[in-house]
Amino acid sequence: MKTSPIQVVFLVLLPALLIGCPQPILQVTPSEIEEPAPAEKAADENPRVVAALQLTDQGRRLLEDGQPDRAIRALEQAVGLDPTNGQNYYYLSEAWLMKESAAQAKEFNHLAEIHLKEDRAWMIRVAQQADRIAELEK
Amino acid sequence: MLKKIIKYALLVSVLIIFSLTVYAWYLSSQVEKRFSARRWHLPSTVYADTTLLYPGQRFNPSIFTKKLLNLGYHRKSHLPSKKGEIQITPTEINIYLNDLKTPWRTREGFPVQVLAGGNRIEAITRIDTADQVPILELEPEEIMQFFGEERERRHLISIEKVPERLIRAVLAAEDHRFFEHSGIDFRGIIRALITNLRHGAIRQGGSTLTQQLAKNYFLTPARTFSRKFKEVLLAVVIELKYDKNEILEIYLNEIYLGQKGSVAINGFGEAAYFYFGKPVKELTLSEAAILAGLIKAPNHYSPYVDPARCRSRRDAVLQSMHRNEWLSETELQAGLNEPVRAVGFTVSGAKAPYFIDYLTEQLKRLYRPEDLSSLGLSVYTTLDTQLQLAAQRALTKGLERLERTNPDLQREAPEQKLQGAIVVMQPKTGHILAMVGGRDYSVSQFNRITQARRQPGSAFKPFVYLSGLAKFTPTTLLSNDAKSYTVDGKLWEPRNFEPVTEYTVSLKNALKKSYNLATVDLAMKIGLEEIVDMAARFNLSTPLKPYPSLALGAFEVIPLELARAYCVFAAEGVQPFPLSLKGVLDEHDSILEQKHLTIERLIPPAEAFIMTAMLQSVVTEGTARSLRWRGVSWPVAGKTGTTNDFRDAWFVGYTPDILALVWVGFDNGDTIAATGAAAALPIWADLMNAIPQYRSETEFKAPRGVARILVCPVTGLLSVADCPAPTEVYFLEGRTPTGHCTLHAKDGIAGKIKESLKGVSEEDDR
Repeated sequence: MKTSPIQVVFLVLLPALLIGCPQPILQVTPSEIEEPAPAEKAADENPRVVAALQLTDQGRRLLEDGQPDRAIRALEQAVGLDPTNGQNYYYLSEAWLMKESAAQAKEFNHLAEIHLKEDRAWMIRVAQQADRIAELEK
Repeated sequence: MLKKIIKYALLVSVLIIFSLTVYAWYLSSQVEKRFSARRWHLPSTVYADTTLLYPGQRFNPSIFTKKLLNLGYHRKSHLPSKKGEIQITPTEINIYLNDLKTPWRTREGFPVQVLAGGNRIEAITRIDTADQVPILELEPEEIMQFFGEERERRHLISIEKVPERLIRAVLAAEDHRFFEHSGIDFRGIIRALITNLRHGAIRQGGSTLTQQLAKNYFLTPARTFSRKFKEVLLAVVIELKYDKNEILEIYLNEIYLGQKGSVAINGFGEAAYFYFGKPVKELTLSEAAILAGLIKAPNHYSPYVDPARCRSRRDAVLQSMHRNEWLSETELQAGLNEPVRAVGFTVSGAKAPYFIDYLTEQLKRLYRPEDLSSLGLSVYTTLDTQLQLAAQRALTKGLERLERTNPDLQREAPEQKLQGAIVVMQPKTGHILAMVGGRDYSVSQFNRITQARRQPGSAFKPFVYLSGLAKFTPTTLLSNDAKSYTVDGKLWEPRNFEPVTEYTVSLKNALKKSYNLATVDLAMKIGLEEIVDMAARFNLSTPLKPYPSLALGAFEVIPLELARAYCVFAAEGVQPFPLSLKGVLDEHDSILEQKHLTIERLIPPAEAFIMTAMLQSVVTEGTARSLRWRGVSWPVAGKTGTTNDFRDAWFVGYTPDILALVWVGFDNGDTIAATGAAAALPIWADLMNAIPQYRSETEFKAPRGVARILVCPVTGLLSVADCPAPTEVYFLEGRTPTGHCTLHAKDGIAGKIKESLKGVSEEDDR
């Protein structure tokens, strides 16, 4: 199959275009960023990680329901079990954003950045979150 | 004359009626005041954190079983059929969960099977639906109540929720004409009088429920005519002001029904839990009759005191219900045939007294003490009772072991005995999971974790080395040679713990082996003011002076602050606020307070990781290497500490998930003749070995900004083929060694130098 030069240019530019797309605040479901479902992802990992992912998911759902305090509680438990999962810090930052505390949101955003540095898709979200925090700080 | 008498009589009568009216009016206002205000002082209850269970989790069966019993679960030999029951077999624990209620989550209880394989949970399955449960949260354990002077436990109930059988049982036992009289039951009084005259003794009382309530609520127990007179008047006033259901509800919540240790059980709501482990709505007819029968003499008829006497009293109540046609013959027989079986209780002492004191200090900033003992608040904390128990056991065992191995440490007087303290935290969240502030709270309430100020010794060194990372690298060479310093005009000559031949040592190895001379050399190169500033940034609040001895931990710190400071290394450079209080609910379950984890970024994650890597080498090859043969085989970073004359022994150790600080010493500063590695470290190891469920045993993850480089152990430069045992060392990116080892390079001169330093190299690897 022959590819036209326009198609080649389009394919090359596509990732960059996608990265630049603005996204809503809580567009973060694992499925949307092509993350496997928690249990699936953690099937071969240690049991604490599997359990922690359940709590991470609970926290995310509570955030979607607009309950930041309850979400923080679930995410704190998730951090207690698996402090290396950067998604917990990302969602904690979301919770503090929801509570309009830029200072705490910033701290957790920073932790999310540390832990999600190898995940390009998540790093895009972390960067966007940082922008929203900066917006709140203004 | 007669007229005069009549006149006086009339006047006296008017005066009496007037006085009675005034007195009744006064009593009425008293009743109104008492009933419209807070009717009972409800103690506030402090809860530990909830407990998470999940498949694959390691657990300590003995501590876990104790946890379930502390939660009020009752052991059964059969499969649990109702909430609050457990069945424990060698391979499974079947639990009918109680309802869960926290400020963040509520859940109805359901039956689950926890399949245990050795010391690990294999699976958690709902017994009713056969669904797998990926994560299970057990309700929080009650750890303490803030009682007022009354020391009464009371679980309030509303009349709508009280089953008819309990109301009938109470009326049958105490006042079956309650809904017919107006506070005074004249028929009852006459009947009681006749019965008592017939027996020549007081067999029956004529008091109605309203009179009993008046007596309990307003009067002293003294048996005098004036008190009886007031009781009658009050009963009438109460009946005039309130309807029967209101009076009954107050009575059911007020009446004394037994004793749990030093605490009174008041009201049927509390009694239903105390005797039968269930809410009033679930009481059977027999159980309702037992509780009603207790009113007469709670401790005499208690099923805990004399089951036979209790049964006979219950039967009397059931018979009375039957006589009043509130029970059919079949129901009566069924009730009479039910065995008398109370659920059992344990009076446990304070579970975490030092933690509670620390918590109380924080609560006092939010609530007045009288509010804590009366408002019925639910206080939720971060405490983990399983960990607390493990920490208490580890400390007791460790101190006894020290006393056994060194009899010089034994003291006769309890208050002079060898002391110790432990605090366990989650480094990422700042949650205080356990706190043991001393050996025996009943002997000394001084909290050595939050109130003590002790020299940290070498446990302070990491803050010196951290300060050094701005100018130096882990392989920078330091002088480990003896030197004198002048402090305030006086000569100060630090020494190493033991003589060494290593006169030049890398920064990493100096921390690993806790060399004093090299540490002071480093501190002087950094500048002492910088170290003081660093400690202040880490929120060490005690005054530190820029003296050379600062580097060796000569200035006192508060143990909790030291533990918090170490959290920064485990938590990628952020420091959490130490949390013990999580939330407070009022008696209607509305949230009054919520405390979340809050953090502050102190140092770059790369620096935190470099420190962790160096502190890991303390555990793998340095002063804490004995952890390995004490069963600690997973990644741990930590530091020992010993002060002059062995006054204090420390070990602060952490994994990515958990951090624990252990201190051992005498309150009066006597020597304990042991190092941190010998006295505090074994306690830390015992604790960690007892709590497998709290360790992920994962590696510390290197963040961005660090590089792992293979270096020559002697020169600290990039290794070449001939370097003996090159080692991998973490550096901050951009601060890695640039040149290759010249010492072991393949040329004649280097070969000679290498040969001459062979001995030093071996010393370094010791």
